[in-house]
Amino acid sequence: MKMTLTAIVAGALSILALIIFIMVFLPYAQQDTTPSNIWRDRTQVEAAGRKIYIANGCVYCHSQSIRAIDWGFGGERIAQAGDYVGDEPILLGSARTGVDLSQEGGEHPDDWHVAHFVNPRYTRPSSIMPPFKWLGIKEILTLTQYVQSLGFKQADIRMKRQRHWKRQAIEAYEAGPDVNARWLAEQVPEGWRNIPNPYPTTPAGLQRGHKIYQEFCLGCHGPIGDGMGPAQPWIYPPPLNFTILKGREISGGIIYYQLMNGITGTAMPYFKRELESQKIWEVGDYVAVYFINQSDANTDPRGIDAAWEPYLEFEPE
Amino acid sequence: MASTANEQAPSYPTAIAFCLTSTIWFAAATSFGMIAAGYLFAPDFLANIGWLHFGKARPIHVNLVLFGFVTPGLLAAGFYMIPKLLRTELFSEKLGVFTAVLWNVTMLCAIVGIGAGYSQGREYAELPWTVDLMIVVLFVLVIFNILMTIRQRKESILYVSVWYITAAVVLTGTTYGIGNVIWKPDTGALLGIPDAILLWFYGHNIFGLLLTPMGLAVAYYVLPIATRSPLYSHTLSLIGFWSLIVVYTHIGTHHLLQVPVPTYLKVIAIVDSVAMVIPVMVVLINLWFTVKGKWAEIHQDIGAKFVFAGTIYYFFVNIQGSMMSLPVVQRVTHFNNWVVGHAHIGVLGFAGVTALGGIYFLLPRITGKPIYSRFLADLQYWLVLIGITGFAIVLTIVGLIQGQAWINGETIYRVLPQIQPYYIARASLGITIMLGAYIGAYNIIRSIFFNPGATAK
Ligand code: HEC
Ligand code: HEC
Ligand code: HEM
Ligand code: HEM
Repeated sequence: MKMTLTAIVAGALSILALIIFIMVFLPYAQQDTTPSNIWRDRTQVEAAGRKIYIANGCVYCHSQSIRAIDWGFGGERIAQAGDYVGDEPILLGSARTGVDLSQEGGEHPDDWHVAHFVNPRYTRPSSIMPPFKWLGIKEILTLTQYVQSLGFKQADIRMKRQRHWKRQAIEAYEAGPDVNARWLAEQVPEGWRNIPNPYPTTPAGLQRGHKIYQEFCLGCHGPIGDGMGPAQPWIYPPPLNFTILKGREISGGIIYYQLMNGITGTAMPYFKRELESQKIWEVGDYVAVYFINQSDANTDPRGIDAAWEPYLEFEPE
Repeated sequence: MASTANEQAPSYPTAIAFCLTSTIWFAAATSFGMIAAGYLFAPDFLANIGWLHFGKARPIHVNLVLFGFVTPGLLAAGFYMIPKLLRTELFSEKLGVFTAVLWNVTMLCAIVGIGAGYSQGREYAELPWTVDLMIVVLFVLVIFNILMTIRQRKESILYVSVWYITAAVVLTGTTYGIGNVIWKPDTGALLGIPDAILLWFYGHNIFGLLLTPMGLAVAYYVLPIATRSPLYSHTLSLIGFWSLIVVYTHIGTHHLLQVPVPTYLKVIAIVDSVAMVIPVMVVLINLWFTVKGKWAEIHQDIGAKFVFAGTIYYFFVNIQGSMMSLPVVQRVTHFNNWVVGHAHIGVLGFAGVTALGGIYFLLPRITGKPIYSRFLADLQYWLVLIGITGFAIVLTIVGLIQGQAWINGETIYRVLPQIQPYYIARASLGITIMLGAYIGAYNIIRSIFFNPGATAK
């Protein structure tokens, strides 16, 4: 074959044209623009927040695209083409240096996001997200509105839930520590309230609990558990001061349940995805021993002793 | 031009201008890469500098690397090779130098645009509309200059390198405008899923229809000349060229295998990504058989040494790429640093190293003197090679850690402390690459402007 200029230019361009037709134009012409069942339009503020998201390259660390194999945030719902019908540009993202944000709306209340944007280390001590304090509070609030809309109608339901519980949490907090501590404990289902921490306090367990506390809790509850972590100025009701819990019969079960499930409406996140059972019991015991100064670890009722517990003198026989 | 006084030795001012452009932006781009890498293990470093945080340093890094360092570097070689191969002069050196100057202005605008927050938010297409227009203009100028040079040629046969360069600039000139949705200045994007399809069609063509053919053009030119061997096979050249254009253009959807796009697109993308073995191996067999047994010659010419190293990375990046297109593999590798490793092997290891090779090959031939310091060039060679190989290893390990952890249900947050040491290692390796870039800049500038003549060996 003789390669002439015409052969090269015309040949390459016609191959390109054919392939653009098949690989780009056909899918474009045949696209289904029906919105998915959760889709809704964005409000003006949300659209403005999306612009800030684009301008600041959030997309290089955050995908908005849930796959069938995902577990994390939003893992309950696999992405559908109809979720993106209003997105120009589409922000699928190609890296998850941070988490997927498809269903971020309503995972946390607004105050959590504000503290997180000011400096992600405040709410998430080992985060590597850059701080956005320099954006200024007005822009941060706009951005928060956008983030809270991710997930569309599902996000709206979660936001409604956040607002509902936020009112109650603030009311309880403002009524003073007695009421607040009682209110918090009463939200935990009866059964859980009566369960002590089933595992004994051990030096190793406390060490591990300490490490988890530093990686997950420090920014809010503070190094000494008084609720004065760096996130505190941005969070309302403020992070709990654990020392007020002394003498209020806060069982291991209450702490476990609150950690697992979070306290919706307050900045207190749920940890069921991040921490397995043992880790929750151990960080709970760490809080109980060091900050509340009162632990019910390994008291009755206990059930059958766990197989691995070396600290028990096994007597029956 | 002043140098036309000296009749017998044309001085290729356009090629020189593009060499300088490439080498300066290489240094700048790696500096931005270092900033991005720093943020990933010390996120509060440089905190609150609004135009420089990770979300901006990263796209500035990537755009400078692609359009500031690699493309001009390969074009420099192009503006030298084309007149040489066609036994003529460049159609207009004035236009060429003007293009290079405008190129630098465009890169400055790119930094300012992204830094000031005018990014369009689409990976590899983030440059704001005005900069997009400037880039299209640049490509039009380059295409015009090259086509006119071909028309005035005195050599009737067009060598492989000419095919690749012509196809690369013509096809990229076309896809750039389409991929950036240049007819929609406000968003520069389509609506919904088709936007993702178009974006990755275009994004992949930046590697497939710009960097790869330009890089191969340099390899096809440098390797036979450096080893004084005829090209192994004309037929293989033909197969390699046409199969590249046919196959590479199909595979953009392998970036979207886990996204709700039409299934037939995914099937085509997977099949053709595996079929990429053909254009790749055909070309490599052709090149490697050409230089077979000529190691001494390759070692002697620092340009050829870079280019040959580039072909090896080309082999690895493509084998890796074909693997990553298999859905079972991509479940683990997608969304994490494995892909970043692949990107650096491809864009730096293959295209970037080849561009450096082209520059080092043409400089002594244009200036008529050896490069300023062969020692510094060798030093740069090893710094870049160690850096990129280290990147490949470290980023692949991190990618596997992340991918395997996620698939087991670990949250992203929990894995962060585990990967921090690797981020530190990657930044340290980045320092070697950045040093290489600065040393190279010094060496190349000295070779052009303040070259005493004899080598400083
Ligand atoms: C360097 C990468 C990076 C960039 C850039 C980045 N993030 Fe993050 N982001 C992370 C990481 C890592 C996490 C997980 C740890 C954490 O929660 O801070 C995260 C977490 C988040 C979360 C909390 C998710 C949750 O519920 O736990 C939100 C919301 C968020 N980012 C929004 C943004 C927005 C909006 C931007 C842009 C203004 C942005 N991020 C930019 C890395 C990044
Ligand atoms: C983003 C801030 C934040 C983080 C991080 C956080 N908390 Fe909280 N926590 C709160 C807030 C706010 C409350 C509720 C305050 C209120 O309603 O008065 C709370 C409440 C609690 C309670 C309630 C106890 C009760 O009486 O019901 C416990 C226990 C607790 N946190 C433990 C932890 C532990 C352990 C961690 C780390 C694994 C943690 N928190 C992380 C903010 C946080
Ligand atoms: C046989 C050839 C190749 C194949 C099949 C291939 C395949 C792939 C795949 C599947 C991805 C997406 C990974 C993911 O997101 O999960 C990818 C990404 C990438 N490839 Fe390749 N690749 C090939 C060659 C190259 C070459 C030669 C280069 C550079 C010159 C290159 C540069 C890139 C870059 C920069 C990315 C990152 C894109 C992003 O930002 O997500 N690839 N490649
Ligand atoms: C000093 C040396 C360098 C450092 C420290 C560095 C660092 C980085 C960092 C931190 C990222 C972002 C990755 C992420 O999001 O996690 C990145 C992306 C990228 N870099 Fe570099 N880089 C360097 C040199 C280069 C060079 C010389 C090239 C090409 C010639 C290059 C090409 C790319 C590309 C194409 C991407 C996009 C990857 C993707 O989207 O997957 N880098 N680099």
